[in-house]
Order: sequence, then C-alpha cells, then structure tokens
Amino acid sequence: MSDIVQASALTRRFDPRLSLGDRIAAAFGARVETRPVRAVTDVSFAIRQGETLGLVGESGCGKSTLGRMVAGILPPSAGDLRIDGEPVMRHGRKTTTRIQTVFQDPFASLNPRRRIGATISEGPIAHRLIRRAEAPAFVADWLARVGLDPAVATRFPHQFSGGQRQRVAIARALAMRPDILVCDEPVASLDVSIQAQILNLFLDLREALGLTCLFISHDLSVVRHVSHRVAIMYLGRIVEIGPAAQVYAAPRHPYTQGLLDSVPKLRLDAEDVSFQPIAGELPSPLSPPSGCAFHPRCPRATDLCRAQRPELAPHPGEVAVACHHA
Amino acid sequence: MTAPLLEVEGLRTHFLTRAGVAKAVDGVSFVLQPGEILGLVGESGSGKSVTGFSLIGLVDPPGRIVGGSIRFAGQELVGLPAEQMRALRGRRIAMVFQDPQATLNPVLTIGTQMALALQAHDRVSDRAAAERAATMLTRVGIPDAAARLGNYPHEFSGGMRQRVAIAMALLNGPELIIADEPTTALDVSIQAQILHEMKALAAESGTALIWISHDLATVSALAHRVLVMYAGRIVESGPVGAVLRAPLHPYTRGLLDSLPAMTEPGRRLRQIPGTAPSLLALPPGCPFAPRCPRADAACTAPPPRVDHAERRALCHHPLEAAA
Repeated sequence: MSDIVQASALTRRFDPRLSLGDRIAAAFGARVETRPVRAVTDVSFAIRQGETLGLVGESGCGKSTLGRMVAGILPPSAGDLRIDGEPVMRHGRKTTTRIQTVFQDPFASLNPRRRIGATISEGPIAHRLIRRAEAPAFVADWLARVGLDPAVATRFPHQFSGGQRQRVAIARALAMRPDILVCDEPVASLDVSIQAQILNLFLDLREALGLTCLFISHDLSVVRHVSHRVAIMYLGRIVEIGPAAQVYAAPRHPYTQGLLDSVPKLRLDAEDVSFQPIAGELPSPLSPPSGCAFHPRCPRATDLCRAQRPELAPHPGEVAVACHHA
Repeated sequence: MTAPLLEVEGLRTHFLTRAGVAKAVDGVSFVLQPGEILGLVGESGSGKSVTGFSLIGLVDPPGRIVGGSIRFAGQELVGLPAEQMRALRGRRIAMVFQDPQATLNPVLTIGTQMALALQAHDRVSDRAAAERAATMLTRVGIPDAAARLGNYPHEFSGGMRQRVAIAMALLNGPELIIADEPTTALDVSIQAQILHEMKALAAESGTALIWISHDLATVSALAHRVLVMYAGRIVESGPVGAVLRAPLHPYTRGLLDSLPAMTEPGRRLRQIPGTAPSLLALPPGCPFAPRCPRADAACTAPPPRVDHAERRALCHHPLEAAA
C-alpha cells in the first residue's frame, strides 16, 4: 500500500494578539514580549491508501490543530502537507477537494438557516461535480446512504436530533467524493446508543467508498475500534505511533501506558475494575517543560529526560516512540 | 441491617411546558444505605439529572415534584419548607455539578467561598474556617492548599477546579453527596485521579454517594450498585458486577453492546436502533418497546417488575439471568 497523505515537520504556532497598549509601546520602539503558543511542533507522519489513522490525546495536545492542518483549513507555520505528492495548500489556500472534514459539533457545523438539501448539494454544484438540475436526486441518494429519509431534504438543522445532524454532516462531507476524510471527534457529543449507530455508519461508508481517514478522538476505545494505526500526541508532538493492535497491547511510551491505564475498563470477569491515574497535570503549552515534555509526570524520568528531548525513533514492529527509556 | 439513609418512593418530577407535560422522572423508587456508592446511569433525557436535582430540592419551574416521597434519614423532603431544605442542603446533602466553572463564584477567592459555605451552617471564626478549608483542599489532592485559598477560580485548571468543588461539598461532612457527571468535562488522566480520590474519600468519611453518569465503565469502577434509567424510569437496578455481567433488561444489554470495547475492533457494533422517545409523547406500556428486539404485543401494557436475587427490572421479556 502506498502513502496517500504525507505530513512532514508540520508546525503551527499561534501568536497572541497584542493589546492596544503593547502595540503603542511597540510603535515607540519598546520591546514587547510575546510568547507564541506552539500547538503543534514538528509532526511528521504518513497515511496509507485506505487506512484509518487514529489520533489520540488529551485537551490541548494539538490534535485538533493538526487535524485542521491536514484538512487544509489551517495553514501550517512550517512544514509541508501533501496528497499523492501534491501540496494541499498554496498561498494559504486549500487547493483540493480530495479532503473533507466531519466536525465534532453538528449543532455548530451546519448552517441553521439553510435547508439540509441545499447544504449537501452546495459544494458539489460549486465544484461542478453535479449540475444544479441533478441536485434533488443527488441529495436524496446521499440522505438514503446515511440512513435518513430522503423526504427530509427540505428541513432545517434544528428539526433534527444530534445523531441525525451528524449523519447530515457526514453526507455533506462525502458528497464531495473525497479520498480522505478528517473526522474531528465525530461522536464525542453523542449518547452511547447513538454513538454506536454513527460509528457503524462510518465503518460501512469507509468500506463502501474505500476512504482514507484521519480519526481524531480523546476516547481511546472509539479510536481502537476504528483505527488501523494510531498516533498518540502529547503537548504538540507525536510521542508514539504504530499499528493500533500493537500500541494498545504493548504501549512503549510511558504516557501511552499511563493513558491506557487511566481509563476504567469494563471487565466483566473481575469484581474490581482496575485503573491507575497518571500523576500530575498537563503542562501549559506556553511554557513547555525542558527536554521531554512528559518528564514531570513520568515515573521513569531521569536527568537525560530533563535535559534532552527524545526524537521519535523506530522500534520493532512498525512502531515509533519518542522516549529515552522505551 | 441499618436503617437506610435515603428512601425514594414513586418519585415523579414533571415539567409543565407549553407543549405539554414532560414526565422527566416518572415513578422512581430506590433505597440508599449509609456509605453506599450508587451509580445512576442513563442517556440524555433519561431523567438521571432531574432525579438528582429533585433529591436536593433544586428543581426549578416549570419543573415540579408532583408525587412520591423522598425520606432522608427518616425525614420527608417532598414538601419541606424552603428554609428547612436550605439548612439541610450543603450540610447533610451536598452536590457536585458537571461544570465547576459554573459552580464556583468567579469574583470570590476560593478561601472566601469555602468560609461562606461553612459559616452558612455553623458559627465558625474566619481563621478556623480557613484552616478547615485548607485541610479539605489537601485531602482532595490540591498541593500547597493554604496558599491557594487566596486564588480565584480562574487560577485553577479544570481538574483542580473540580477538586475545589468536591472539597466544598465535603466541607460540612455531609451524609450524602450527589455528583452529577462530575468527570465528564475532564480529560481521562484527570478523570482517573478524581475517581481514585472520590472512592477513597467516600470510604474514609463514610459518605454515601450518588454518582450520576452516562458512562458505564466509570460507574463500574466506582459504584456498589447501579440504577439504569430510561425515559424517566428505573428499568434495571442491582449490584454493579451482576447487572453488567448479565443484564435482565434489553436496554441495559443494548447499552453495553453499543460500547466499542465489547466488540472486536473494526467490526460493526451491535447498535440499538432508533432514538429515545420524546418525554412529551411516551408510547403506552414499556417506553423502550419501539427500539427493543424482544418487544411484542404484550409490551404495550405497563411492564411488570421482575425480581432476580438482588436485582430488579421492569420488563415483559427479561433476559436470562446467568449470574
């Protein structure tokens, strides 16, 4: 299988906006200190044709920022993103329709004043995938494929439940006939029974359309379920990446191990459910720790970890880990 | 057997809206022993939060408790005058909410807020209040507690803020804490820390806990017994292990099967079809019948109570209880 998505050394900084006072001071030649937030630093990975890469991490780790860069919504500060060798963005603008996105919140991602039929057909008409006259049949077909009654095309988003809206959002993304789908927490706001329905829909459509996916979630069991490979992020960097089965069965990075241990698992054979929290809290991305960013919370940290940042290095079994002691 | 701490019998909390009467809680009964941890599980709209709010007397109009009884340590809480309820709330029954940002007053320091919570119920000097507050913050795992009393809520992280809210709930040594999705907004590593500490605190202080959550795994990690709610009713109850190993009610089974962890990766999940019914127009008989694989003509009549050892379910066609 060949790589379809190639991300190399993607970095994204966010510069804080200066206050009026600081801007005036700067205009008069004063030195104004600004500390950019490094949301994503030097992230490289590839996604193979037909593969789903799961991206896991806690809030603030940069997974959504990375997803938005892959989706071509946010230009990287540095680094390069290509599909089949073609850059996704030129001059800060997305140049392809081969990537589409499904967002977390179907309440915010659908235009509330537009009938959902128009929402689904707008992109394909604008990009000349279909003619305007074909739109009604096209919309009906897509609604049926995501499990909605084609008659609902004339309704507005508020007339749907959260799960149904997420189906509309999926139809809108797939109607553009993308090769690559970026899903940013697509089931996080849904109830368990509805989450299962949407995950099943995702699995069905992925197979039927041969999609390549970047699936972002904080939910480890959801990511395990849908992903072929997973990448674990901590404070803007990938700390471990590899085949899902392997990373979950034998995590090598202490953060991955801690994350997997801290989720209460339903073990129906045992009386007591086991889980073990990671000590400490996430550091601020404004002032990341020296060396390995995880060292203040890591049980295995040594002086080396405090001084030098470990590179993401290959390990046996197609796994790469950024740890001095893995 | 000691006397139960809490006895809820036929509790009904309805919301009288312009569109009709939403029966958010409709005939909920359960018993809670002192020191027991009870998990209250359900999806959105199942009535789990409204049940919690009803217990502590915080149901706002158009919601109203229209029937049933809540006896706390022998005292009837339904119809209790507001003043007496206020004396009880925060002292003998405390609540922890999902969003600590909304619970804590943003313009008062943590120390001031905790002192107010103490002084609302007892004559405590400011100095003694600060001391008790610091002790409690240390117990919930906040480092350097005495110094942090002077901080405002925004100076704490989300996880630390929830710890402050838990410390405030524990402050007056309540006999019962109602926690409504207290870890839902938190990251998994922080959630694990709070669960860990909550379990230890409850065991240490002998406080009974009602843990309201949509997450079966979290509840199984914490609770002794579980109540599963659907459309305003408790459809199944019993010891956590027994219920999750071999549920009696098809809804509990469906909820478990919906979890990705219960299926081999990459395979289709066994989903529950359809969506929860509107509380304004519940189907006659069993509210789960339209989504239930076992439903038949009998399910249009109200489901009978099924007893199996320590477990109960409301169902015409309960599943085999293996355990």
